[in-house]
Amino acid sequence: MAPPFEYKLAIETLHELRKSGERKSELVISLGGRLIREGYIGKLGDDVWSVYEQIFVAALDHREEALAKTCLENLEKRFPNSPRVKILEGMKLEAEEKLDDALKLYDEILEEDDSNIAATKRRIAIFKAKGQDQQAMEALSHYLDAFYNDAEAWLELSSLYLNYHLYKQAGFCLEELILLQPQNHLYHLKYAEILYTCDNIDNITLALKEFCRVVELCEDHVRALYGIKLVFNLSSVSIISFSTNFCVCIYQCTSRLLSVRTSSIDVKTISELNSLASERISKVYSKGNNNNNNSDEIPNCS
Amino acid sequence: MSYQVSSSPTESQALYLDPAIRDWVLIPIMVVMVLVGVFRDQVTVLLSGSGPKKPVLKAIRETRVLVRGATLRSYGNHIPPSSFYSRKSYLANAYEKGYYLKNPIAMNQTVNPMDPQGMEMMMEGMKKNFAMIIPQTVIMGWVNFFFSGFVLIKMPFPLTLRFKSMLQRGVETSDMDVTWVSSLSWYFLNLFGLRSIFSLLLGEDNAADGMRDMTAMPQMGASATGQPQNYHKLHLAEKENLELTPHAWELEDVEYRLLAQYGKRPRISITETNERNEGSSSVSEYKGKGRKKGGK
Repeated sequence: MAPPFEYKLAIETLHELRKSGERKSELVISLGGRLIREGYIGKLGDDVWSVYEQIFVAALDHREEALAKTCLENLEKRFPNSPRVKILEGMKLEAEEKLDDALKLYDEILEEDDSNIAATKRRIAIFKAKGQDQQAMEALSHYLDAFYNDAEAWLELSSLYLNYHLYKQAGFCLEELILLQPQNHLYHLKYAEILYTCDNIDNITLALKEFCRVVELCEDHVRALYGIKLVFNLSSVSIISFSTNFCVCIYQCTSRLLSVRTSSIDVKTISELNSLASERISKVYSKGNNNNNNSDEIPNCS
Repeated sequence: MSYQVSSSPTESQALYLDPAIRDWVLIPIMVVMVLVGVFRDQVTVLLSGSGPKKPVLKAIRETRVLVRGATLRSYGNHIPPSSFYSRKSYLANAYEKGYYLKNPIAMNQTVNPMDPQGMEMMMEGMKKNFAMIIPQTVIMGWVNFFFSGFVLIKMPFPLTLRFKSMLQRGVETSDMDVTWVSSLSWYFLNLFGLRSIFSLLLGEDNAADGMRDMTAMPQMGASATGQPQNYHKLHLAEKENLELTPHAWELEDVEYRLLAQYGKRPRISITETNERNEGSSSVSEYKGKGRKKGGK
Protein backbone atom coordinates (compact mmCIF):
# COMPACT_ATOMS: atom_id res chain seq x y z
CA MET A 1 0.00 0.00 0.00
CA ALA A 2 1.56 3.21 -1.12
CA PRO A 3 1.47 6.15 1.25
CA PRO A 4 -1.00 8.92 0.32
CA PHE A 5 0.44 11.32 -2.19
CA GLU A 6 1.37 14.60 -0.55
CA TYR A 7 0.71 16.90 -3.41
CA LYS A 8 1.45 20.03 -1.39
CA LEU A 9 4.95 18.84 -0.70
CA ALA A 10 5.38 17.91 -4.36
CA ILE A 11 4.27 21.36 -5.49
CA GLU A 12 6.65 22.97 -3.06
CA THR A 13 9.55 20.81 -4.18
CA LEU A 14 8.89 21.67 -7.81
CA HIS A 15 8.78 25.35 -6.89
CA GLU A 16 12.09 25.11 -5.08
CA LEU A 17 13.68 23.38 -8.04
CA ARG A 18 12.39 26.05 -10.41
CA LYS A 19 13.77 28.78 -8.21
CA SER A 20 17.20 27.26 -7.85
CA GLY A 21 17.35 26.26 -11.52
CA GLU A 22 18.32 22.68 -10.71
CA ARG A 23 17.46 20.17 -13.36
CA LYS A 24 16.69 17.01 -11.44
CA SER A 25 14.65 15.65 -14.30
CA GLU A 26 13.91 12.29 -12.74
CA LEU A 27 12.46 13.83 -9.61
CA VAL A 28 10.49 16.37 -11.62
CA ILE A 29 9.01 13.66 -13.79
CA SER A 30 7.99 11.46 -10.90
CA LEU A 31 6.42 14.32 -8.96
CA GLY A 32 4.94 16.17 -11.93
CA GLY A 33 3.71 13.04 -13.67
CA ARG A 34 1.82 12.07 -10.55
CA LEU A 35 0.37 15.55 -10.20
CA ILE A 36 -1.00 15.35 -13.72
CA ARG A 37 -2.19 11.75 -13.57
CA GLU A 38 -3.99 12.07 -10.28
CA GLY A 39 -5.65 15.33 -11.14
CA TYR A 40 -3.93 17.57 -8.66
CA ILE A 41 -2.92 19.98 -11.39
CA GLY A 42 -5.97 22.16 -10.71
CA LYS A 43 -4.63 22.95 -7.25
CA LEU A 44 -1.72 24.88 -8.70
CA GLY A 45 -3.58 28.03 -9.70
CA ASP A 46 -1.56 30.33 -11.92
CA ASP A 47 1.61 28.39 -11.24
CA VAL A 48 0.33 25.59 -13.39
CA TRP A 49 1.87 26.94 -16.59
CA SER A 50 5.40 27.17 -15.28
CA VAL A 51 4.99 23.72 -13.78
CA TYR A 52 3.91 22.39 -17.17
CA GLU A 53 6.99 23.97 -18.69
CA GLN A 54 9.21 22.44 -16.05
CA ILE A 55 7.72 18.98 -16.46
CA PHE A 56 7.95 19.31 -20.24
CA VAL A 57 11.68 19.97 -20.18
CA ALA A 58 12.25 17.16 -17.71
CA ALA A 59 10.15 14.80 -19.85
CA LEU A 60 12.25 15.64 -22.89
CA ASP A 61 15.37 14.83 -20.89
CA HIS A 62 14.03 11.36 -20.19
CA ARG A 63 12.23 10.76 -23.48
CA GLU A 64 8.84 10.57 -21.83
CA GLU A 65 7.11 11.54 -25.02
CA ALA A 66 3.54 11.10 -23.85
CA LEU A 67 4.06 13.29 -20.82
CA ALA A 68 5.82 15.93 -22.87
CA LYS A 69 2.97 15.93 -25.34
CA THR A 70 0.30 16.54 -22.70
CA CYS A 71 2.27 19.43 -21.24
CA LEU A 72 2.91 21.05 -24.57
CA GLU A 73 -0.69 20.66 -25.71
CA ASN A 74 -1.98 22.32 -22.58
CA LEU A 75 0.46 25.17 -22.92
CA GLU A 76 -0.38 25.67 -26.57
CA LYS A 77 -4.05 25.78 -25.81
CA ARG A 78 -3.52 28.50 -23.24
CA PHE A 79 -0.85 30.59 -25.02
CA PRO A 80 -1.33 30.05 -28.75
CA ASN A 81 1.20 32.59 -30.01
CA SER A 82 3.66 32.90 -27.19
CA PRO A 83 7.33 32.78 -28.21
CA ARG A 84 8.10 30.99 -24.97
CA VAL A 85 5.87 28.08 -25.96
CA LYS A 86 7.34 28.15 -29.45
CA ILE A 87 10.75 27.65 -27.91
CA LEU A 88 9.46 24.61 -26.06
CA GLU A 89 8.19 23.32 -29.38
CA GLY A 90 11.65 23.86 -30.78
CA MET A 91 13.14 21.91 -27.93
CA LYS A 92 10.81 19.06 -28.75
CA LEU A 93 12.07 19.14 -32.33
CA GLU A 94 15.62 19.10 -31.00
CA ALA A 95 14.83 16.09 -28.87
CA GLU A 96 13.53 14.35 -31.97
CA GLU A 97 16.80 15.29 -33.67
CA LYS A 98 15.11 17.51 -36.22
CA LEU A 99 17.75 20.12 -35.68
CA ASP A 100 17.20 22.04 -38.89
CA ASP A 101 13.48 22.44 -38.24
CA ALA A 102 14.20 23.66 -34.75
CA LEU A 103 16.77 26.09 -36.07
CA LYS A 104 14.25 27.45 -38.54
CA LEU A 105 11.74 27.92 -35.75
CA TYR A 106 14.22 29.82 -33.60
CA ASP A 107 15.21 32.00 -36.50
CA GLU A 108 11.57 32.88 -37.01
CA ILE A 109 11.24 33.90 -33.38
CA LEU A 110 14.38 35.98 -33.58
CA GLU A 111 13.16 37.70 -36.72
CA GLU A 112 10.18 38.99 -34.82
CA ASP A 113 12.03 39.85 -31.66
CA ASP A 114 15.78 39.95 -31.99
CA SER A 115 16.34 40.34 -28.25
CA ASN A 116 14.77 37.01 -27.30
CA ILE A 117 17.43 35.55 -25.04
CA ALA A 118 16.03 32.03 -24.84
CA ALA A 119 15.82 31.65 -28.61
CA THR A 120 19.36 32.98 -29.03
CA LYS A 121 20.66 30.48 -26.56
CA ARG A 122 18.79 27.55 -28.08
CA ARG A 123 20.23 28.51 -31.44
CA ILE A 124 23.73 28.34 -30.01
CA ALA A 125 22.91 24.98 -28.46
CA ILE A 126 21.86 23.67 -31.87
CA PHE A 127 25.12 24.81 -33.39
CA LYS A 128 26.90 22.95 -30.66
CA ALA A 129 24.80 19.85 -31.17
CA LYS A 130 25.52 19.90 -34.87
CA GLY A 131 29.21 20.19 -34.15
CA GLN A 132 29.45 23.60 -35.78
CA ASP A 133 31.56 25.01 -33.00
CA GLN A 134 32.84 27.83 -35.11
CA GLN A 135 29.33 29.14 -35.63
CA ALA A 136 28.48 28.55 -32.00
CA MET A 137 31.43 30.68 -30.95
CA GLU A 138 30.45 33.42 -33.33
CA ALA A 139 26.84 33.43 -32.20
CA LEU A 140 27.89 33.33 -28.58
CA SER A 141 30.27 36.25 -28.85
CA HIS A 142 27.64 38.19 -30.74
CA TYR A 143 25.21 37.49 -27.94
CA LEU A 144 27.74 38.47 -25.29
CA ASP A 145 28.46 41.70 -27.08
CA ALA A 146 25.00 42.86 -26.03
CA PHE A 147 24.40 40.82 -22.89
CA TYR A 148 27.91 40.98 -21.54
CA ASN A 149 26.75 40.34 -17.96
CA ASP A 150 25.67 36.75 -18.58
CA ALA A 151 28.29 34.85 -16.60
CA GLU A 152 27.21 31.41 -17.72
CA ALA A 153 27.51 32.37 -21.36
CA TRP A 154 31.06 33.55 -20.81
CA LEU A 155 31.87 30.22 -19.17
CA GLU A 156 30.36 28.38 -22.10
CA LEU A 157 32.36 30.43 -24.56
CA SER A 158 35.57 29.82 -22.64
CA SER A 159 35.00 26.07 -22.64
CA LEU A 160 34.38 26.19 -26.39
CA TYR A 161 37.65 28.01 -26.86
CA LEU A 162 39.44 25.53 -24.62
CA ASN A 163 38.26 22.69 -26.83
CA TYR A 164 40.32 24.26 -29.58
CA HIS A 165 43.27 25.16 -27.34
CA LEU A 166 42.60 28.85 -27.81
CA TYR A 167 43.94 29.69 -24.40
CA LYS A 168 44.27 33.38 -24.94
CA GLN A 169 40.64 33.75 -25.93
CA ALA A 170 39.52 31.52 -23.08
CA GLY A 171 41.59 33.65 -20.74
CA PHE A 172 39.80 36.71 -22.02
CA CYS A 173 36.46 35.15 -21.13
CA LEU A 174 37.66 34.35 -17.65
CA GLU A 175 38.87 37.93 -17.22
CA GLU A 176 35.36 39.10 -18.07
CA LEU A 177 34.00 36.69 -15.49
CA ILE A 178 36.37 38.04 -12.88
CA LEU A 179 35.21 41.53 -13.72
CA LEU A 180 31.63 40.43 -13.22
CA GLN A 181 32.24 38.60 -9.95
CA PRO A 182 35.62 39.59 -8.56
CA GLN A 183 35.16 37.74 -5.29
CA ASN A 184 34.33 34.38 -6.85
CA HIS A 185 37.45 32.30 -6.28
CA LEU A 186 36.40 29.63 -8.74
CA TYR A 187 36.79 32.02 -11.66
CA HIS A 188 40.22 33.01 -10.39
CA LEU A 189 41.10 29.34 -10.16
CA LYS A 190 39.97 28.60 -13.67
CA TYR A 191 41.81 31.63 -14.97
CA ALA A 192 44.97 30.51 -13.19
CA GLU A 193 44.73 27.05 -14.68
CA ILE A 194 44.27 28.41 -18.17
CA LEU A 195 47.27 30.65 -17.71
CA TYR A 196 49.29 27.76 -16.39
CA THR A 197 48.32 25.63 -19.34
CA CYS A 198 49.37 28.04 -22.04
CA ASP A 199 53.06 27.65 -21.59
CA ASN A 200 54.49 31.11 -21.54
CA ILE A 201 56.79 32.50 -18.89
CA ASP A 202 54.82 35.68 -18.59
CA ASN A 203 51.67 33.74 -17.94
CA ILE A 204 53.25 31.36 -15.46
CA THR A 205 54.00 34.11 -12.98
CA LEU A 206 50.53 35.46 -13.54
CA ALA A 207 49.14 31.99 -12.91
CA LEU A 208 51.08 31.81 -9.66
CA LYS A 209 49.63 35.11 -8.58
CA GLU A 210 46.13 33.97 -9.44
CA PHE A 211 46.61 30.74 -7.51
CA CYS A 212 47.73 32.84 -4.55
CA ARG A 213 44.64 34.96 -4.96
CA VAL A 214 42.43 31.89 -4.82
CA VAL A 215 44.02 30.75 -1.59
CA GLU A 216 43.64 34.25 -0.24
CA LEU A 217 39.94 34.34 -1.11
CA CYS A 218 39.17 30.78 -0.05
CA GLU A 219 41.40 29.60 2.73
CA ASP A 220 43.22 26.29 2.19
CA HIS A 221 41.78 25.75 -1.26
CA VAL A 222 43.56 22.51 -2.06
CA ARG A 223 43.39 22.72 -5.81
CA ALA A 224 44.96 26.16 -5.78
CA LEU A 225 47.64 25.07 -3.31
CA TYR A 226 48.44 22.21 -5.61
CA GLY A 227 48.61 24.70 -8.45
CA ILE A 228 51.21 26.69 -6.58
CA LYS A 229 53.27 23.54 -6.23
CA LEU A 230 52.93 22.80 -9.93
CA VAL A 231 54.14 26.25 -10.80
CA PHE A 232 57.08 25.78 -8.45
CA ASN A 233 57.99 22.48 -10.06
CA LEU A 234 57.83 24.04 -13.47
CA SER A 235 60.04 26.92 -12.45
CA SER A 236 62.56 24.76 -10.55
CA VAL A 237 62.99 22.44 -13.48
CA SER A 238 63.75 25.31 -15.77
CA ILE A 239 65.20 27.58 -13.13
CA ILE A 240 68.06 28.67 -15.31
CA SER A 241 66.01 29.29 -18.36
CA PHE A 242 63.59 30.96 -16.04
CA SER A 243 66.02 33.68 -15.07
CA THR A 244 67.36 34.15 -18.56
CA ASN A 245 63.89 34.26 -19.93
CA PHE A 246 63.25 37.00 -17.51
CA CYS A 247 65.47 39.44 -19.34
CA VAL A 248 63.83 38.57 -22.62
CA CYS A 249 60.47 38.94 -21.07
CA ILE A 250 61.25 42.32 -19.60
CA TYR A 251 62.64 43.61 -22.85
CA GLN A 252 59.61 42.42 -24.67
CA CYS A 253 57.29 44.04 -22.27
CA THR A 254 58.94 47.39 -21.91
CA SER A 255 58.96 47.69 -25.64
CA ARG A 256 55.21 47.39 -25.59
CA LEU A 257 54.25 50.70 -24.15
CA LEU A 258 50.74 50.05 -22.98
CA SER A 259 50.86 46.52 -21.74
CA VAL A 260 52.66 46.83 -18.45
CA ARG A 261 54.32 43.49 -17.86
CA THR A 262 53.17 41.36 -15.04
CA SER A 263 55.55 41.78 -12.20
CA SER A 264 57.48 38.61 -11.64
CA ILE A 265 58.16 36.82 -8.42
CA ASP A 266 61.65 36.13 -7.16
CA VAL A 267 62.87 32.62 -6.58
CA LYS A 268 62.95 32.91 -2.82
CA THR A 269 59.32 33.85 -2.63
CA ILE A 270 58.37 31.03 -4.94
CA SER A 271 60.10 28.46 -2.81
CA GLU A 272 58.53 29.94 0.28
CA LEU A 273 55.12 29.71 -1.35
CA ASN A 274 55.91 26.12 -2.31
CA SER A 275 56.76 25.10 1.21
CA LEU A 276 53.67 26.89 2.46
CA ALA A 277 51.55 25.00 -0.05
CA SER A 278 53.04 21.63 0.94
CA GLU A 279 52.47 22.40 4.57
CA ARG A 280 48.87 23.41 4.08
CA ILE A 281 48.06 20.46 1.81
CA SER A 282 49.46 17.92 4.23
CA LYS A 283 47.63 19.61 7.06
CA VAL A 284 44.33 19.66 5.18
CA TYR A 285 44.59 16.01 4.22
CA SER A 286 45.61 14.82 7.63
CA LYS A 287 42.49 16.57 8.85
CA GLY A 288 40.49 15.18 5.93
CA ASN A 289 41.31 11.60 6.94
CA ASN A 290 39.52 12.13 10.18
CA ASN A 291 36.28 13.67 9.06
CA ASN A 292 36.39 13.00 5.32
CA ASN A 293 35.36 16.54 4.56
CA ASN A 294 37.92 17.48 2.00
CA SER A 295 38.62 14.05 0.59
CA ASP A 296 36.27 14.64 -2.32
CA GLU A 297 38.66 17.26 -3.61
CA ILE A 298 41.41 14.76 -4.29
CA PRO A 299 40.17 13.65 -7.72
CA ASN A 300 39.91 17.28 -8.76
CA CYS A 301 43.57 17.86 -8.27
CA SER A 302 44.85 14.95 -10.27
CA MET B 1 -35.35 71.97 -1.34
CA SER B 2 -34.56 68.44 -0.61
CA TYR B 3 -34.43 68.70 3.11
CA GLN B 4 -36.98 69.78 5.66
CA VAL B 5 -36.56 71.84 8.74
CA SER B 6 -38.00 69.62 11.38
CA SER B 7 -37.31 71.30 14.69
CA SER B 8 -37.23 74.70 16.28
CA PRO B 9 -34.65 77.20 15.08
CA THR B 10 -33.07 77.36 18.53
CA GLU B 11 -31.69 73.86 18.18
CA SER B 12 -29.00 74.72 15.69
CA GLN B 13 -29.92 73.32 12.31
CA ALA B 14 -31.29 69.90 13.06
CA LEU B 15 -32.23 68.91 9.53
CA TYR B 16 -34.25 65.89 8.67
CA LEU B 17 -33.04 64.21 5.46
CA ASP B 18 -35.45 62.23 3.36
CA PRO B 19 -34.48 58.53 3.37
CA ALA B 20 -35.08 58.57 -0.37
CA ILE B 21 -32.01 60.77 -0.67
CA ARG B 22 -29.96 58.07 0.98
CA ASP B 23 -31.42 55.38 -1.25
CA TRP B 24 -31.41 57.23 -4.53
CA VAL B 25 -28.51 59.68 -4.28
CA LEU B 26 -25.97 58.80 -1.61
CA ILE B 27 -25.64 55.10 -2.32
CA PRO B 28 -25.95 55.31 -6.13
CA ILE B 29 -23.12 57.86 -6.34
CA MET B 30 -20.87 55.59 -4.35
CA VAL B 31 -21.83 52.46 -6.25
CA VAL B 32 -21.37 54.18 -9.60
CA MET B 33 -17.96 55.42 -8.59
CA VAL B 34 -16.83 51.98 -7.50
CA LEU B 35 -18.12 50.42 -10.69
CA VAL B 36 -16.49 53.06 -12.84
CA GLY B 37 -13.25 52.48 -10.98
CA VAL B 38 -13.39 48.76 -11.70
CA PHE B 39 -14.30 49.45 -15.32
CA ARG B 40 -11.39 51.86 -15.64
CA ASP B 41 -9.02 49.29 -14.31
CA GLN B 42 -10.17 46.84 -16.97
CA VAL B 43 -9.89 49.44 -19.71
CA THR B 44 -6.35 50.30 -18.69
CA VAL B 45 -5.44 46.64 -18.79
CA LEU B 46 -6.91 46.45 -22.29
CA LEU B 47 -5.19 49.59 -23.52
CA SER B 48 -1.78 48.54 -22.32
CA GLY B 49 -2.63 44.93 -22.98
CA SER B 50 0.34 44.21 -25.17
CA GLY B 51 2.58 45.46 -22.39
CA PRO B 52 5.51 47.73 -22.92
CA LYS B 53 7.11 47.16 -26.26
CA LYS B 54 10.22 45.07 -26.02
CA PRO B 55 13.37 46.98 -26.84
CA VAL B 56 15.28 45.79 -29.85
CA LEU B 57 18.67 44.21 -29.53
CA LYS B 58 20.53 47.29 -30.63
CA ALA B 59 18.86 49.44 -28.01
CA ILE B 60 19.83 46.97 -25.33
CA ARG B 61 23.38 46.96 -26.59
CA GLU B 62 23.48 50.73 -26.52
CA THR B 63 22.55 50.92 -22.85
CA ARG B 64 24.39 47.85 -21.63
CA VAL B 65 27.71 49.00 -22.94
CA LEU B 66 27.57 51.92 -20.54
CA VAL B 67 27.23 49.49 -17.65
CA ARG B 68 30.09 47.53 -19.05
CA GLY B 69 32.31 50.57 -18.86
CA ALA B 70 31.21 51.20 -15.31
CA THR B 71 31.98 47.59 -14.38
CA LEU B 72 35.44 47.89 -15.83
CA ARG B 73 36.00 51.07 -13.86
CA SER B 74 34.91 49.62 -10.57
CA TYR B 75 36.34 46.11 -10.77
CA GLY B 76 39.19 46.56 -13.23
CA ASN B 77 41.68 46.23 -10.41
CA HIS B 78 41.07 42.52 -10.28
CA ILE B 79 42.42 41.72 -13.72
CA PRO B 80 46.01 42.00 -14.89
CA PRO B 81 47.18 45.41 -16.14
CA SER B 82 47.58 44.40 -19.75
CA SER B 83 44.04 43.05 -19.87
CA PHE B 84 42.74 46.15 -18.20
CA TYR B 85 44.46 48.51 -20.59
CA SER B 86 43.42 46.62 -23.69
CA ARG B 87 39.81 46.67 -22.53
CA LYS B 88 40.05 50.30 -21.61
CA SER B 89 41.40 51.37 -24.96
CA TYR B 90 38.93 49.20 -26.82
CA LEU B 91 35.92 50.57 -24.97
CA ALA B 92 37.14 54.17 -25.13
CA ASN B 93 37.59 53.82 -28.85
CA ALA B 94 34.20 52.19 -29.26
CA TYR B 95 32.54 54.93 -27.26
CA GLU B 96 34.15 57.64 -29.28
CA LYS B 97 33.45 56.13 -32.67
CA GLY B 98 29.95 55.17 -31.64
CA TYR B 99 30.28 51.45 -32.45
CA TYR B 100 27.62 50.58 -29.94
CA LEU B 101 25.12 53.23 -30.93
CA LYS B 102 21.79 52.12 -32.28
CA ASN B 103 22.27 54.33 -35.25
CA PRO B 104 25.96 55.21 -35.70
CA ILE B 105 25.34 57.44 -38.69
CA ALA B 106 23.10 59.82 -36.84
CA MET B 107 25.39 60.18 -33.88
CA ASN B 108 26.26 63.80 -34.44
CA GLN B 109 22.76 65.01 -35.07
CA THR B 110 20.64 66.28 -32.30
CA VAL B 111 17.98 63.89 -31.17
CA ASN B 112 14.81 64.18 -33.12
CA PRO B 113 11.95 64.85 -30.70
CA MET B 114 9.48 63.44 -33.22
CA ASP B 115 11.25 60.12 -33.14
CA PRO B 116 8.56 57.49 -33.81
CA GLN B 117 9.50 55.52 -30.72
CA GLY B 118 9.21 58.56 -28.51
CA MET B 119 5.89 59.44 -30.09
CA GLU B 120 4.61 55.99 -29.36
CA MET B 121 5.46 56.31 -25.72
CA MET B 122 3.77 59.69 -25.60
CA MET B 123 0.63 58.28 -27.19
CA GLU B 124 0.65 55.50 -24.64
CA GLY B 125 0.70 58.01 -21.83
CA MET B 126 -2.03 60.09 -23.45
CA LYS B 127 -4.27 57.08 -23.86
CA LYS B 128 -3.87 56.20 -20.22
CA ASN B 129 -4.60 59.72 -19.14
CA PHE B 130 -7.75 59.88 -21.22
CA ALA B 131 -8.96 56.68 -19.66
CA MET B 132 -8.51 58.41 -16.34
CA ILE B 133 -9.95 61.79 -17.07
CA ILE B 134 -13.00 61.05 -19.20
CA PRO B 135 -14.95 58.91 -16.72
CA GLN B 136 -14.24 61.35 -13.92
CA THR B 137 -15.56 64.27 -15.93
CA VAL B 138 -18.65 62.33 -16.92
CA ILE B 139 -19.49 61.36 -13.36
CA MET B 140 -18.91 64.84 -12.11
CA GLY B 141 -21.22 66.22 -14.78
CA TRP B 142 -23.82 63.64 -13.86
CA VAL B 143 -23.69 64.50 -10.18
CA ASN B 144 -23.69 68.18 -10.93
CA PHE B 145 -26.62 67.96 -13.30
CA PHE B 146 -29.01 65.75 -11.35
CA PHE B 147 -28.10 66.20 -7.74
CA SER B 148 -26.78 69.71 -7.41
CA GLY B 149 -27.83 71.28 -4.16
CA PHE B 150 -28.56 68.02 -2.37
CA VAL B 151 -27.38 67.62 1.17
CA LEU B 152 -26.55 63.99 1.73
CA ILE B 153 -24.99 63.30 5.09
CA LYS B 154 -23.96 64.90 8.32
CA MET B 155 -20.52 64.46 9.74
CA PRO B 156 -20.70 63.01 13.25
CA PHE B 157 -18.09 65.45 14.52
CA PRO B 158 -17.82 69.24 14.54
CA LEU B 159 -15.63 70.97 11.99
CA THR B 160 -14.26 74.49 11.60
CA LEU B 161 -15.56 76.96 9.09
CA ARG B 162 -12.71 76.38 6.70
CA PHE B 163 -14.10 73.03 5.68
CA LYS B 164 -17.17 74.70 4.30
CA SER B 165 -15.79 75.08 0.80
CA MET B 166 -14.67 71.49 0.84
CA LEU B 167 -17.80 69.86 2.21
CA GLN B 168 -20.55 72.05 0.81
CA ARG B 169 -19.55 72.63 -2.74
CA GLY B 170 -22.61 73.37 -4.84
CA VAL B 171 -24.69 74.52 -1.89
CA GLU B 172 -24.36 78.24 -1.54
CA THR B 173 -25.76 78.84 1.93
CA SER B 174 -23.49 80.72 4.23
CA ASP B 175 -25.50 79.89 7.34
CA MET B 176 -25.63 76.12 7.14
CA ASP B 177 -23.56 74.12 9.63
CA VAL B 178 -20.25 72.90 8.27
CA THR B 179 -20.91 69.28 9.17
CA TRP B 180 -23.44 68.84 6.38
CA VAL B 181 -22.04 67.41 3.16
CA SER B 182 -23.33 68.29 -0.28
CA SER B 183 -23.61 65.87 -3.18
CA LEU B 184 -20.71 67.30 -5.16
CA SER B 185 -18.50 67.11 -2.10
CA TRP B 186 -19.62 63.56 -1.52
CA TYR B 187 -18.35 62.86 -4.99
CA PHE B 188 -14.97 64.29 -4.13
CA LEU B 189 -14.81 62.43 -0.85
CA ASN B 190 -15.43 59.24 -2.78
CA LEU B 191 -12.85 60.12 -5.40
CA PHE B 192 -10.15 60.45 -2.80
CA GLY B 193 -11.42 57.91 -0.33
CA LEU B 194 -12.10 54.81 -2.42
CA ARG B 195 -8.45 53.90 -2.86
CA SER B 196 -8.37 51.33 -0.10
CA ILE B 197 -11.61 49.78 -1.31
CA PHE B 198 -10.16 49.44 -4.79
CA SER B 199 -7.01 47.82 -3.50
CA LEU B 200 -9.27 45.43 -1.61
CA LEU B 201 -11.29 44.63 -4.72
CA LEU B 202 -8.66 44.66 -7.43
CA GLY B 203 -5.39 44.02 -5.65
CA GLU B 204 -2.56 46.37 -4.85
CA ASP B 205 -1.51 47.50 -8.26
CA ASN B 206 -4.73 48.73 -9.84
CA ALA B 207 -5.47 51.57 -12.17
CA ALA B 208 -8.89 52.39 -10.76
CA ASP B 209 -7.86 55.00 -8.30
CA GLY B 210 -8.56 58.56 -9.28
CA MET B 211 -5.79 59.87 -7.10
CA ARG B 212 -3.17 58.18 -9.14
CA ASP B 213 -3.49 60.41 -12.16
CA MET B 214 -3.16 63.41 -9.89
CA THR B 215 0.14 62.16 -8.57
CA ALA B 216 1.22 61.13 -12.03
CA MET B 217 0.60 64.60 -13.43
CA PRO B 218 3.70 66.45 -12.22
CA GLN B 219 6.11 63.82 -13.44
CA MET B 220 4.53 63.98 -16.87
CA GLY B 221 6.39 67.18 -17.49
CA ALA B 222 9.73 65.56 -16.76
CA SER B 223 11.61 63.21 -19.01
CA ALA B 224 9.27 60.34 -18.17
CA THR B 225 7.26 60.92 -21.32
CA GLY B 226 10.17 59.55 -23.23
CA GLN B 227 12.21 62.47 -24.35
CA PRO B 228 14.73 60.33 -26.19
CA GLN B 229 18.21 60.37 -24.73
CA ASN B 230 21.28 61.24 -26.64
CA TYR B 231 23.32 58.13 -26.13
CA HIS B 232 26.33 59.37 -27.93
CA LYS B 233 26.77 62.07 -25.32
CA LEU B 234 26.42 59.50 -22.58
CA HIS B 235 28.97 57.30 -24.29
CA LEU B 236 31.41 60.18 -24.57
CA ALA B 237 30.97 60.95 -20.89
CA GLU B 238 31.63 57.32 -20.01
CA LYS B 239 34.71 57.39 -22.19
CA GLU B 240 36.06 60.31 -20.23
CA ASN B 241 35.37 58.56 -16.96
CA LEU B 242 37.11 55.48 -18.22
CA GLU B 243 40.16 57.33 -19.37
CA LEU B 244 40.55 58.94 -15.98
CA THR B 245 40.49 55.58 -14.24
CA PRO B 246 43.88 54.45 -13.00
CA HIS B 247 44.71 50.80 -12.54
CA ALA B 248 45.98 49.56 -9.20
CA TRP B 249 46.34 45.84 -9.60
CA GLU B 250 44.83 43.91 -6.75
CA LEU B 251 47.28 41.05 -7.27
CA GLU B 252 50.40 43.18 -7.35
CA ASP B 253 51.71 41.83 -4.05
CA VAL B 254 49.33 38.95 -3.49
CA GLU B 255 52.13 36.47 -2.80
CA TYR B 256 53.41 38.58 0.10
CA ARG B 257 49.94 39.07 1.41
CA LEU B 258 49.38 35.34 1.27
CA LEU B 259 52.60 34.58 3.09
CA ALA B 260 51.68 37.20 5.65
CA GLN B 261 48.22 35.70 5.99
CA TYR B 262 49.70 32.38 7.04
CA GLY B 263 52.24 34.10 9.24
CA LYS B 264 55.27 33.24 7.12
CA ARG B 265 56.23 36.84 6.74
CA PRO B 266 55.50 39.92 8.78
CA ARG B 267 52.79 42.14 7.43
CA ILE B 268 54.49 44.85 5.44
CA SER B 269 53.42 47.78 3.39
CA ILE B 270 53.79 47.80 -0.37
CA THR B 271 56.69 50.25 -0.51
CA GLU B 272 58.73 48.13 1.82
CA THR B 273 57.93 45.12 -0.30
CA ASN B 274 59.43 46.78 -3.32
CA GLU B 275 62.64 47.59 -1.47
CA ARG B 276 62.83 44.08 -0.21
CA ASN B 277 62.43 42.78 -3.73
CA GLU B 278 65.29 44.78 -5.05
CA GLY B 279 67.63 43.65 -2.32
CA SER B 280 66.74 40.01 -2.17
CA SER B 281 68.43 38.60 -5.26
CA SER B 282 69.93 39.57 -8.54
CA VAL B 283 66.89 38.38 -10.40
CA SER B 284 64.53 40.50 -8.47
CA GLU B 285 66.87 43.46 -8.79
CA TYR B 286 66.60 43.17 -12.49
CA LYS B 287 62.90 42.94 -12.19
CA GLY B 288 62.67 45.91 -9.89
CA LYS B 289 64.22 48.11 -12.53
CA GLY B 290 62.02 46.59 -15.11
CA ARG B 291 59.00 47.37 -13.07
CA LYS B 292 59.95 51.00 -12.80
CA LYS B 293 60.45 51.27 -16.50
CA GLY B 294 57.28 49.42 -17.25
CA GLY B 295 55.33 51.54 -14.86
CA LYS B 296 56.01 54.61 -16.91
